[in-house]
Amino acid sequence: MRVSIFGCELSGLVTAGALAQTGNKVIALPIGKAKVTDLRKAMMPREEPGLGLLIKNQLEEGSLAFEEDWRTGVEHGEVLILSVPSWRLDRAEAVIDKIGQYATEDLLVVNQSSFPIGTADRFEAKLRLAFAERGLVAKVSVVAMPEFISEGSALSDFTAPDRIVLGSHDADSIKQVRDLMRPFNRITDQIKVMSTRAAEYTKYAVNALLATRISLVNELANNAEHFDIDIEEVRQGLGSDSRVGFSYLYPGCGFGGPSFASDVKNLVETLESKGYDADLLKTVLSNNEAQKEVLFRKAWRYFNTDLKGKTIAIWGLSFKPNTSTVENAPSLKTIEALVAQGAKVRVYDPKAMPDFAVQWSGGAGVELVENMYDALLGADAVFLMTEWKMFWSPDYELMKQKMHTPVIFDGRNIYDQNVLKAHGFRYFGVGRGARV
Amino acid sequence: MSVEKSNAWQALLEHGEAGATSELLKNLFADSSRSERFSIELEEMFLDYSKNRITDTTLELLLDLAEQQQLPDWINKLLCGEEVNDTEHRPAMHAALRAGGLNVQGQALNVQDDIESEFQKMTLIVDRIRSGHWRGFSGKPITDVVNIGVGGSDLGPLMMTTALQTIKSPINLHFISSIDGTQTSNILKKLNQETTLFLLASKSFTTIDTLSNAETAKDWLAEVIDDPKTLLSQHFVGVSTKPEMMSEWGIPEENQLIFWDWVGGRYSMWSTIGLPIALQIGMEGFREMLHGASVMDQHFGSAPLAENIPVLMGLIDVWNINFLDIHAKAILPYDARLKYLPSYFEQLVMESNGKAVNRDGDKVAYKTCPILWGEVGPNAQHAFYQLLHQGTQSVMCDFIAPVERDDFDAHGLSEKDGSLRYQHELALANCFAQSRVLMLGDAAIPETIKEQFNSPFKHYPGNQPSNTILLKSISAKTMGMLVALYEHKTFVESVIWEINPFDQWGVELGKLIAKETHSALKDTKKAEEFDASTQALIKRVI
Repeated sequence: MRVSIFGCELSGLVTAGALAQTGNKVIALPIGKAKVTDLRKAMMPREEPGLGLLIKNQLEEGSLAFEEDWRTGVEHGEVLILSVPSWRLDRAEAVIDKIGQYATEDLLVVNQSSFPIGTADRFEAKLRLAFAERGLVAKVSVVAMPEFISEGSALSDFTAPDRIVLGSHDADSIKQVRDLMRPFNRITDQIKVMSTRAAEYTKYAVNALLATRISLVNELANNAEHFDIDIEEVRQGLGSDSRVGFSYLYPGCGFGGPSFASDVKNLVETLESKGYDADLLKTVLSNNEAQKEVLFRKAWRYFNTDLKGKTIAIWGLSFKPNTSTVENAPSLKTIEALVAQGAKVRVYDPKAMPDFAVQWSGGAGVELVENMYDALLGADAVFLMTEWKMFWSPDYELMKQKMHTPVIFDGRNIYDQNVLKAHGFRYFGVGRGARV
Repeated sequence: MSVEKSNAWQALLEHGEAGATSELLKNLFADSSRSERFSIELEEMFLDYSKNRITDTTLELLLDLAEQQQLPDWINKLLCGEEVNDTEHRPAMHAALRAGGLNVQGQALNVQDDIESEFQKMTLIVDRIRSGHWRGFSGKPITDVVNIGVGGSDLGPLMMTTALQTIKSPINLHFISSIDGTQTSNILKKLNQETTLFLLASKSFTTIDTLSNAETAKDWLAEVIDDPKTLLSQHFVGVSTKPEMMSEWGIPEENQLIFWDWVGGRYSMWSTIGLPIALQIGMEGFREMLHGASVMDQHFGSAPLAENIPVLMGLIDVWNINFLDIHAKAILPYDARLKYLPSYFEQLVMESNGKAVNRDGDKVAYKTCPILWGEVGPNAQHAFYQLLHQGTQSVMCDFIAPVERDDFDAHGLSEKDGSLRYQHELALANCFAQSRVLMLGDAAIPETIKEQFNSPFKHYPGNQPSNTILLKSISAKTMGMLVALYEHKTFVESVIWEINPFDQWGVELGKLIAKETHSALKDTKKAEEFDASTQALIKRVI
């Protein structure tokens, strides 16, 4: 199939690479900051395992091309895919205008972006009107196919998905998208067909449910501390209940990232603008913002409200492992809070330091170092904020040598507190029984 | 020689007897240039004083009175920080607080560095709280700030933060003032110790009202905070002229903001007492308010008397009180955001000029401060305006209204914007209609419906004088100008009446007797010397 993809962020690039690899002729067109010249050299806007290589191979094969001019994209594709960040609805509108202007034949538009519910229907009506004004007699359909990829595992999420949600009222369009997605729907039929709006809402509902689950687990963990209970023990009891299950049951220092929280926030705002409230989801979001500072609060109490002149090491900046972005990451809030109290902060992250350097606006007081042990130099405590694999089994004796006092605040509960205690560390996790 | 025997005063009496006191406003307005002649504009403020029972001659004679009383000298003394508060031997340098180092002289210049350095410290505290980096004992950011203070340590910030409520603040502000504790117990029910900070604002740091509320707050915090040091360092900020007493109470030095005994309590909003205002609108906004007041100070200090807004308003009040025998004044703001403005002016005006002895300690032979009260105008229309229109009292009124409102889009196309625009027009229409009817009375009734008013119960005598002040909008700057205007106007009157507006001996005795009465509540034997009424009341409550 001839496919054009508008948007060269993570989701657009993954879609472009995977569809090119399965034999389609794909053109991808940036709608934002990404530069065609960089993309043609397979330079990725952010690091994602396997993606750069896939794009490079497909470019060499000739099955994928990057183009600047949207008109080229409109004229090339039988299927046009919108893969635009949720906050760039204006750019998506502009793409739709362009399609209305230059389309010449029957057209299938697939929207992967998280826009307000009803956007796909609205785009379809807009295109119909544009065609009618031009006197173009052609069929047009806008299908909602929300993306469910996660940073760090985006390629496998796309090529071996839990499910593919398709929203459309038009049987032919469904057939066509089924065919396009067939290579990724092999073992059992994972395609769930529903109404356009239901498909759009499903994306929001999934994120709302997961965010709520994380915040609830965090609250349970925080409360466990008051009763000297280790939440890790409770987690085993909880997860083994088949109604609950083990996934998304890890307490920690809050969730971040570009889309998770913003999807929930968008949903809350849409509801509020219509005059409905969304109390539970609002609480989920505000709880999470507070949870991002959970390690700061522990240190605040541990050091008797006086962090001035203390040196705090930070292990991990990205909002989760295997990604280079710090967008909405707990590390940003935590470091800001520490610096505001006059603490010196030494940070290390294997991938996210360049993005941190761009996003950090809190001024002096933060030093980026090139080695995880260097971050510990003279530290009064270390905060573990991202569970990168390299942090799981550190050299405890070396840590102790470097640190001023061996104190660990573990924001992802990755350490065994008994082992650490045996090595002479003071250890505080999230809900691990030790109250500061 | 007492002022009422002076030439200028006598000249005004004669002018009155010659017919000026029986002038009817509706006749005065036969002169169509009147409103232009009797109005004045200063930056974003406009004053129409034409609806007063004055003529050009009245004004000339009032200005003679001002000259005779050496008003320009007094203004200069006030603004340069000379000892204008002679019973307490100190200057009253509220204007110095807002000068920002510009155009100040004398003692007012000498204190500029002290003021600025305290504002710097205030900025640090304000920024820390507003940015979420002032942490409670558990490490959570402070979200709620409770101002505990009374009188000048309460009313100014309460009035100003209410007036500027459309400026979104990251902090929820609360005010506790009354000694009885009900405000405290009600507010504390809604708050969380983790995220609440108390501002203890007391000029003397001995005010029992404030300290008793503060003790209750401390007990409430101690329910969950084990460490008394953390309780004080993270949950209390003090504002006082007495740093040593704040330290004794337990407030750490870095949480102390000071001001000085040369700032009167009712003039202290411009000092660090204004901390709640700065928390609401930011330190930049606070300085904008100071700038507004400073614009009025500069005007007061430099404009000729005949073009000087506080001077004109003060002299016209003197005319109304001492020559037209009007002893009540209503403050009528036509915007609900100004609902505490009447209370604020009650304190400012009546605590300043509610006195019966002159600077020499002699009893004065003339009336001084009127009874002043007020209410948001549109609400008062449904309450006491009946008395204004048909009562037996003459009342002078100050109407105050914003020309624009900033809480909706004046050019917005939405229905809500349209409705709000309509409501604003209604408010202004009511403001202008009321001052017109008060002035003209029956003469305001249109010819076509005169018949319907042909009844003794529907008679409107009119001839009630008023001022109308229009502010471009309610902003930090215009509010600074407005309050400074009333401060200076009050001072002008005190100069004419030869009284000291900066002391308040009248409130002292009651405080003292309250202590004695309190011990009588504990030990009824002590009540035996009291009068029968007080004894009976005490018996009923113990």
